[in-house]
Amino acid sequence: MLKMANSFPEEVLEHVFSFIQSDSDRNSISMVCKSWYEIERWCRRRIFIGNCYAVSPRMMIRRFPDIRSIELKGKPHFADFNLVPEGWGGYVHPWIAAMADAYPWLEEIKLKRMVVTDETLELIAKSFKNFKLLVLSSCEGFSTDGLAAIAANCRNLRELDLHESDVEDLSGHWLSHFPDTYTSLVSLNIACLGSEFSFSSLERLVGRCPNLKSLRLNRAVPLDRLANLLHRAPQLVELGTGAYSAELRPDLFSNLAGSLSGCKELESLSGFWDVVPAYLPAIYSICPGLTSLNLSYATIPSPDLIKLVSQCPNLQRLWVLDYIEDVGLDALAVSCKDLRELRVFPSDPFVVEPNVLLTEQGLISVSEGCPKLQSVLYFCRQMSNDALITIARNQPNFTCFRLCIIEPRTPDYLTLEPLDVGFGAIVEHCKDLRRLSVSGLLTDRAFEYIGTHGKKLEMLSLAFAGDSDLGLHHVLSGCENLRKLEIRDCPFGDKALLANAAKLETMRSLWMSSCSVSYGACKLLGQKLPRLNVEVIDERGHPESRPESCPVEKLYIYRSVAGPRFDMPGFVWTMDEDSAVRVT
Amino acid sequence: MGRAAHSSSSSIDSSSHPDLLLPVPAGSSSSSSLSQKINGNYGNSHINTRTDLSTDLRLGLSISPSSHSDLSSTSTPGEEALINWPPIKSILRSRLAGKADHPSLFVKVYMEGIPIGRKLNLFAHDGYAALITTLSLMFKATILSGPEENHVHSDKYHVLTYEDQEGDWMLVGDVPWEIFLTTVKRLKITRADRC
Repeated sequence: MLKMANSFPEEVLEHVFSFIQSDSDRNSISMVCKSWYEIERWCRRRIFIGNCYAVSPRMMIRRFPDIRSIELKGKPHFADFNLVPEGWGGYVHPWIAAMADAYPWLEEIKLKRMVVTDETLELIAKSFKNFKLLVLSSCEGFSTDGLAAIAANCRNLRELDLHESDVEDLSGHWLSHFPDTYTSLVSLNIACLGSEFSFSSLERLVGRCPNLKSLRLNRAVPLDRLANLLHRAPQLVELGTGAYSAELRPDLFSNLAGSLSGCKELESLSGFWDVVPAYLPAIYSICPGLTSLNLSYATIPSPDLIKLVSQCPNLQRLWVLDYIEDVGLDALAVSCKDLRELRVFPSDPFVVEPNVLLTEQGLISVSEGCPKLQSVLYFCRQMSNDALITIARNQPNFTCFRLCIIEPRTPDYLTLEPLDVGFGAIVEHCKDLRRLSVSGLLTDRAFEYIGTHGKKLEMLSLAFAGDSDLGLHHVLSGCENLRKLEIRDCPFGDKALLANAAKLETMRSLWMSSCSVSYGACKLLGQKLPRLNVEVIDERGHPESRPESCPVEKLYIYRSVAGPRFDMPGFVWTMDEDSAVRVT
Repeated sequence: MGRAAHSSSSSIDSSSHPDLLLPVPAGSSSSSSLSQKINGNYGNSHINTRTDLSTDLRLGLSISPSSHSDLSSTSTPGEEALINWPPIKSILRSRLAGKADHPSLFVKVYMEGIPIGRKLNLFAHDGYAALITTLSLMFKATILSGPEENHVHSDKYHVLTYEDQEGDWMLVGDVPWEIFLTTVKRLKITRADRC
């Protein structure tokens, strides 16, 4: 093998490598030998960095001199649920500033949970001559002024996606900064923006971009404008509507239904803010072609949802509020045999009494009726071990199983037992499970099952579960492929963490909040494992002001080749070798 | 599988790891008492917590983990247990809360000279005095309360201004608190001598 490899000229190997796209394969290539490492690094065009603090921009640039596409993630996942304090970090500016010098031909930037300023967006707009794609997913810190800079300067921009970002909405005028000669837009997602914008400039933009495939509008776009937009873009594959409400007017309905039926390529629908269900039949004509339906912002009663899903035989992905109820999931199981992914969100998660009839029964029906189901996120109020065992047996090909029983520590409602056996069945039967979130009453036994069977598990989320360090020990010692572990409000502490400290170096990150990890243990971890950044997050003040045995509020541990970060706010402390002796 | 089962059942006493010194009392005693505390608190107080939380959230409030009450008190995990639960992204959460058609009262606060703003929950305050107390702690600044103290022009003091729905910057305190809540878009802490 080695001999053969050496006999190829570099150009040939480089050409062969160019066909290999997956990050992990590229990483494997670079570890074969020194010459492959060299060839690979010169021809690497795409890079994914799962934690912006795991490596520095300088190190990336030194190794990969010609990157065209970067994907970068910032804050921990629990930031989605408000568990990471405002101002924690995840600033992208140092990365962009470094790349502006090193990668003038950078074409794509995808950021997730990062702080992006208008200054950064302006730098992107003027630095990269052939810039094509900007995805800001769950990002914050910028305003519509920054977007205006992107619109005005990036003449080759194909995709602008503000997926669930928190944008300061100064005005809707930014959209008119796309020049009249600009025609390259393929995908635009502005669903997260609040303000109205000039509909005429939106209509002109949509009309002059013949390759526009995906358009996700915001709530400010009224329903009576939608038909006009669709007439200009019959080639759309993906549509996010604006507000889907209006007074009932037959002309509006027929106009809308007509323009939708003209969009023969439509596969994916979302939006439906403030939906008036009487207008839903306007989409019936395109339902047979739909593969994806995101109704998570749409308050649609069960009977209307049943009519809708019954017309979507090719649906692969459904996100829906729990208004669908068990009876709607029964209908889904009958009609949608191709379903791969189901998410059911709670419509009223903050009250104890159920407002809809959605139980474990709905999930059982779907697991029985939809043989291709792989991924589930399901919020409900009751569950039983028997139900989980049935679901696991019905659907051994789950790769993602996230169950949230809304009231913490809810036992099996039939037997009042913990749900250990039920979740045990999930990990035992679903051999390919990569992602798992557990809830309900769970003892350490549940984690013993997870550690024993969850051999492919990569991401695990725990809340209000377990009884002792043993629970965490089972997970850390058993789950061989675990990359991300996030824990809140569990009685896990020092023993399990210290006993499995070496495991942490094999993982991307560990988050623990409101657990029982002492400040002393955090210091110890930081000293003993220099390749880990051990960050204590405590808004009560410096942990040195409390006894070392006092539990820290939040702990975030991640591996890094860049060392401790320099942009920590006042409520974050990094535990390095000096922290034990540092005078504060 | 057999290997994992074996290691799971073995002791996790860290003395078997020569690299690591276990701090003696921290692990067992404090963690067990803490877990009791969580469970105990939970049993007694969760109904109240839950009711308050649901009211707040229906009012359109996104509860921030950097809640201002814990600036002064050292709260235990048990007391905070149901904050930010269930795990729903804030965009969906605000959408759900928005059904009641209340504006979100989650506003951003900036302080002159500090590039990074912070988010603040106005519903967590019952009036101007509480708001100013929180902000003074949050930004470690002396903020003058009320227009009557306007004559103090010094770089040591700060005043609190807000942007209203029309985009005008006003001095906080010019209207009753309830009206302020309906009109405020964001807050800015400015040096008093710049006013």
